[in-house]
Amino acid sequence: MPTAETQVSPQAWKLREEKGIGILELDQAATEVNVLTSGNIAEFRDHVAAIARRKDLKALIITSAKKRIFIAGADIREIEGISTEQEAFDKAHQGKVVLQMLEDLPMPTIAVINGACLGGGYELALAADYRVASFSPNVKIGLPEVNLGILPGFGGSIRLPKLLGLLKALPLILAGRIVSAEDALRYGMVDKLFAEKSLLEDTIHFAKDLIAQVPGAMRKKGKTHFVNWFLEKTPAGRRIVFGKARKDVLKKTKGFYPAPVEILDLLQKTYGKNPSRAYKLESKHFAKLAVTEVSKNLIKLFFLSEKYKKYAWTAAKVPSAKVKKCGIVGAGVMGGGIAQLVSSKNIPVRIKDINEEALGGALREARRVFDGALKRRKIKKHDLEYKMGLISVGLTNAGLKSADMLVEAVVENMDIKKKVFAELSEIASPDAVLTSNTSSLSITEMASVCKNPARVVGLHFFNPVHRMPLVEVIRASQTSDETVERTVQFARGLGKTVIVVKDAPGFLVNRLLLPYLNESAYMMQEGLTPDVIDKIARDFGMPMGPVELTDQVGIDVGYKVAHILHAAFGDRMKVAPILETVYKKGFLGVKSGSGFYRYRAGKKDLNPGVTFGKATGATPSPEDILKRMVYIMINEAARCLDEKIIDGPATVDIGMVMGTGFPPFRAGLLAYADSVGAANIVRDLKRFQETIDAERFAPAPFLEKLAENNSGFFTQ
Amino acid sequence: MKKIAIVDGVRTPFVKAWTHFDRLPAQRLGAMCVTELLQRTDFNPENVDEVIMGCVGQPIDAANVARVISLYAGIPKDKKAYTVNRNCASGFEALTSAAEKIRAGVDEIVIAGGAESMSNAPFTFTKEMSTLLLKLSRAKTLSQKLGIVAGMRPRHFKPVAALQLALTDPVCGLNMGETAEVVAKKFGVLRARQDEFAVQSHKKAVMARGLLREEIMTVHISPKYGKYVQDDNGPRENQSIEALAKLRTIFDRRSGTVTAGNASQITDGACALLVMDEAKAKAMGYEILGTLREYEYVGLEPSEMGMGPAFAIEKVLRKSGLSLKEIDLFEINEAFAAQVLASVEALASKKFAEENFSGRAPVGEIDPERLNVNGGGIALGHPVGVTGARLVLTCLKELKRRSLKRGLVSLCVGGGQGSALILERN
Repeated sequence: MPTAETQVSPQAWKLREEKGIGILELDQAATEVNVLTSGNIAEFRDHVAAIARRKDLKALIITSAKKRIFIAGADIREIEGISTEQEAFDKAHQGKVVLQMLEDLPMPTIAVINGACLGGGYELALAADYRVASFSPNVKIGLPEVNLGILPGFGGSIRLPKLLGLLKALPLILAGRIVSAEDALRYGMVDKLFAEKSLLEDTIHFAKDLIAQVPGAMRKKGKTHFVNWFLEKTPAGRRIVFGKARKDVLKKTKGFYPAPVEILDLLQKTYGKNPSRAYKLESKHFAKLAVTEVSKNLIKLFFLSEKYKKYAWTAAKVPSAKVKKCGIVGAGVMGGGIAQLVSSKNIPVRIKDINEEALGGALREARRVFDGALKRRKIKKHDLEYKMGLISVGLTNAGLKSADMLVEAVVENMDIKKKVFAELSEIASPDAVLTSNTSSLSITEMASVCKNPARVVGLHFFNPVHRMPLVEVIRASQTSDETVERTVQFARGLGKTVIVVKDAPGFLVNRLLLPYLNESAYMMQEGLTPDVIDKIARDFGMPMGPVELTDQVGIDVGYKVAHILHAAFGDRMKVAPILETVYKKGFLGVKSGSGFYRYRAGKKDLNPGVTFGKATGATPSPEDILKRMVYIMINEAARCLDEKIIDGPATVDIGMVMGTGFPPFRAGLLAYADSVGAANIVRDLKRFQETIDAERFAPAPFLEKLAENNSGFFTQ
Repeated sequence: MKKIAIVDGVRTPFVKAWTHFDRLPAQRLGAMCVTELLQRTDFNPENVDEVIMGCVGQPIDAANVARVISLYAGIPKDKKAYTVNRNCASGFEALTSAAEKIRAGVDEIVIAGGAESMSNAPFTFTKEMSTLLLKLSRAKTLSQKLGIVAGMRPRHFKPVAALQLALTDPVCGLNMGETAEVVAKKFGVLRARQDEFAVQSHKKAVMARGLLREEIMTVHISPKYGKYVQDDNGPRENQSIEALAKLRTIFDRRSGTVTAGNASQITDGACALLVMDEAKAKAMGYEILGTLREYEYVGLEPSEMGMGPAFAIEKVLRKSGLSLKEIDLFEINEAFAAQVLASVEALASKKFAEENFSGRAPVGEIDPERLNVNGGGIALGHPVGVTGARLVLTCLKELKRRSLKRGLVSLCVGGGQGSALILERN
C-alpha cells in the first residue's frame, strides 16, 4: 500500500498511439472541466519533451476527454492568488516555455476542439500547427482574459495576431470575444470543422493527409487585400490602426480598465517583430496587470456572478420545467420588453391591455428590440419572423388561463394592481405563478386579494429589459418556496442573473438607488449644476451620472417611487423639493424632451426652465459630493442587511453591479465600502449629519457596529 | 359514428387585396388566426394532432403552408400539418378532411381552416423566358452570355399574373366570371336582379358589422404595428343600384351582365376552426359551437360551375334525410350574384329537377330572409381558400345568436364542382 506521501496525483494527460499518430488527451481528475494548472502544465511539458524524441510518431493530436470542454482556460484561482509581479511573470513564462516546445515539435500537431476552448486553452491550441473543431454548439472559442483585467499570457497575444493578421485579431483580444465554431472557421481561428460524432476519426484522417503532404491539406496563405496589407504591414498603416483602436478603447473604458490599453501597448511593440522578445514583453505586461486591484476585483466579481448563476435560493427541490406560455397584463414599455425577451426564447406570449393602441405599442416595442438584434446580426430574419409571431395580444382574458407564468406590468398603482390580481387569481390555472413587475409596491398586499397567495411573487425586470442583466425576485412572507424557485428558473431561462429580495418598499436596487438620485437632487438645490454632479459620478465609474439617470428613468417615475420610499422609511428618504417642482412643471426627462437637462437634436444642455439652487456657503469638494452619493447607498445597504432584506453583502454587490451598472472594477458597492473602511464611512456620515442633514446621513447601527469592531461587510 | 364538433373558430377581418394586408403573406395570416384560436379557447397546443389548411394560391416561399402556419403558431414540432386545395371549397375540404381523419381514428384534435393572400399572388415569367434565364445562369463565357441576352425580346419580359391564371379553368378555357355569364344567360338572370342582390349583400354586411366582430380578431399590422384592423373592409355603406348600374360588364363586354359590383371581391384573410369528436370536447369541458351533421361534394359541367350549390344541396339533403324546411339558415357563397340566384331558382324548379335529379321532386324554395343573413362574398370578399371555413363559422355563430338548430352552407367550385355542409347546434 502506498502511503500518502508516495501517492502520485492521478495523471491528467494520457498519451496513446494509433498507427504512428500520438493522441494526447487531457482528462482532469475529479472535475467536469479541464483547466490549465501549474501541475498539468508540467505534466504536459514532460509528455511533449518525450514526444520530441520519438522518431516513430509522425503526428500529434491534442484532445480532451471531457464532453463539452476542450480546455476552459487557465485556473483563475491561481491567477487570483498571484501577489507579486515576479510571480506573475514566472507563471506566464513557464507556460510559454512549454507551449514553445509544442510549437517546436518536428511533426504536424493538431488541437482538436470539441467544446469550450477559452483563454489558456486556446493559447495552447494556437501553439499547435493546426486547429480543428466540431460543429457542436458547445464549441466556444476565444481569448476572454481582458474581462478579468489581464491579457493572454501564454503567447496568445502574439500568436493570434500572427495567425489572423492584426485587423482581425485586435478586436477579438480587446473585447475578449467568444465565438462559435462557424465564426471561428470564418475568422481563421480554426482550420477545419468536422462532425461532432466523427471528430477524432476525421482528425486522424486529416493528420494522415498532412503526413503524406496531400496537396490541399496544408493551410494556404490567404491573399491580402491591398488596404489590409497597408494597414498591417507598414508602420504608417499600423499607426492608423493602433491610433483608432486606442481612441475606441479609451472611449469605452474611460480609463478605468488598464488591460485593453496594455494589450494595445504590447501589440504595438510586438506585432511583426522578433517573437522571442515579443513573448518576454507579453509576460511583462501580463505581470503588470495580474497584480492590479482592478484585475483582482474583476476576478472576484467573475466568481460571484458564476456563483449566482446557480445559487440555490430556497431549499425547495423543483424539477426544472420550461415555462410553456407566458401571459402579460399591461402593454407598456415594460410589458412589450418582457414579451420580447420571453418570445426570444421561443416561449409563446399573450399580452392583455385595455385598448388596442397600447397593444400595438407593445408589439412595436418588441419589434424594435428584435430589429436591433437583427441589425447587430444577433438573430436572422427568419428567426425574427418566428419569434415575433409568438407574441399575440388581446383585450380580454383569453389566453391567460392557459399560461403557466403570469406577469403583471400595469401602472404603479396599488388599486389597479389589486384589481388585476383579483381577476387573474380567478381565471389563472391552479399551477400558474402570478408575478408582479412592480418596482416598489408591496407584493403581500397584491397577494391579499388572490385565492392562493402562496403563488404570488415579485419579478422585477429593469429597463431596458433585454439589456439589463439583473432580475429581482421578490419573495413576500406568504410566497411559497416552490413559487420562488419556479420564478428564479424562469428568469434564469431568460438569461438573467437573479437575486431574491424580501418584500419591502423599493426592494433592494431601488431602495439603494433612490437615495443616491435624491441626494443629487439635494445638491442641485444647494447650487451645484447637474453636469458637475454627473461628471463626478462618471469619474467614479458609474455608467451614467445620477441626474442623467433620473432623466432617463423619467422624473415622474422617480418622483413616485421616491414618495413611496419616503412614506415607508420616514424622513431619511425625504424627497428633495426640486424633484417636485420639476415634475409639476411637466419636465419628465428624456421622454418629454427635457428634465434637468434639455435634449435637442441628439445633444443635451442644462434645462433653462429649471431653477437650480443658489450656492450658499462653500461649494462642497468633489470628494464630498461623491461620498454623499455613494455613502448614502452603503448606509442604506447596511440597513437592508440588518433587516435581512437580502441574504448577504454579495447579493448587494451583484444587484448593484448588474442592476445599476455600479463599476465592476470596484467589485461592488460593499466590496468598495470595505476597501474604504466602515470607520471612515461612519466618520464622514457623522460629519454630513452635522453640516448637512441629521436624518439623511444618520449612520445605520449595523454600519456603526462594523466600524466599532473594525470589521467589514465581507470580513465580519 | 363519432359526431364531429366545431368547438370554436375565429377569423381575421376580410380585407380587400392590395390594402391593409398587402405585406402579410398567407402563412402569417393563417398563423395569427390559429394563434388567436388557441388563445380564445385557452387550448394547449400540445393537444393539437394536426393542422389542415385550405389554400388555393400557395405561397411559393411556404410550400405546404399549413405546416408553416402550424409552427408559426407555436404548435409543437412533432405535430402534423398539411394543406388542401379543392379550389373555392378548400375551407370546406379542410373541415371535412379533419372529420374523416377523426372518424378514422387517425387524429383526435384538428385545427382546420384556410389562409389566402390574393395580394401576394406572384407574377411569373413565361416558360420561354424561364428557359432563357436558366441558360443564362449556366453560360460559362461572356460571349455565350451576351448571345443569350441578345436573343431576348420585349415580349419575353411580359409577366404572367398567377392570379389571373388561377381564376381560369384550363379545361373549358373560361375564367370564373365567364362561367357566371354562361349561367346568367342559361337561367335568364337579369342584370338588375344581380345588382339588387349585390346591394342587399352590402346592406346586410354593413348592418352586421357589430355581430361579425364576434368571429373576427383584431390584426395589428406588422412590421410597424402603427395600425390595426378589426372589421372587414369590403362592405360599402352607400352601395346603390344606381352606382352598380354604371359599372361595365367585364367578362362579356357586349351582352354580359356580370360586373365587378355583382361579383365577389378579391380578398386576403384567414380562418381557423377547432375540430374534435363531440364526446372529446364535452370531456374537456368545452361548450361547443356546433356539429357537422353531413357533407357532400359533387361534380358538374365546368363551364357551369356556378350551379354547384344546386346539385350539392340536393344531394346533401337527400343523404341526410332532411327537407329544405328543416334548415333554419343558409349560407351560399356569393362568388357571383348570378350564380347564387340561378342555383336558388334551380332548386325550386320542377323542370330543373326533372332534368337533373332523375325526375325527383324539386328541393324547394329557399326563403330569402334566411339566406346569407349577414351578407356574403360580394360584400365581405372571397379569399378562395378561406371562404368555406368562414361560411361554417359565420353560420354557426348566427345560429347561436338566434338560438336556431340547423344551418346549411354551400359553395360553387371552380373547375366544376359543388359542395354543401349541414351544421347543427344542440
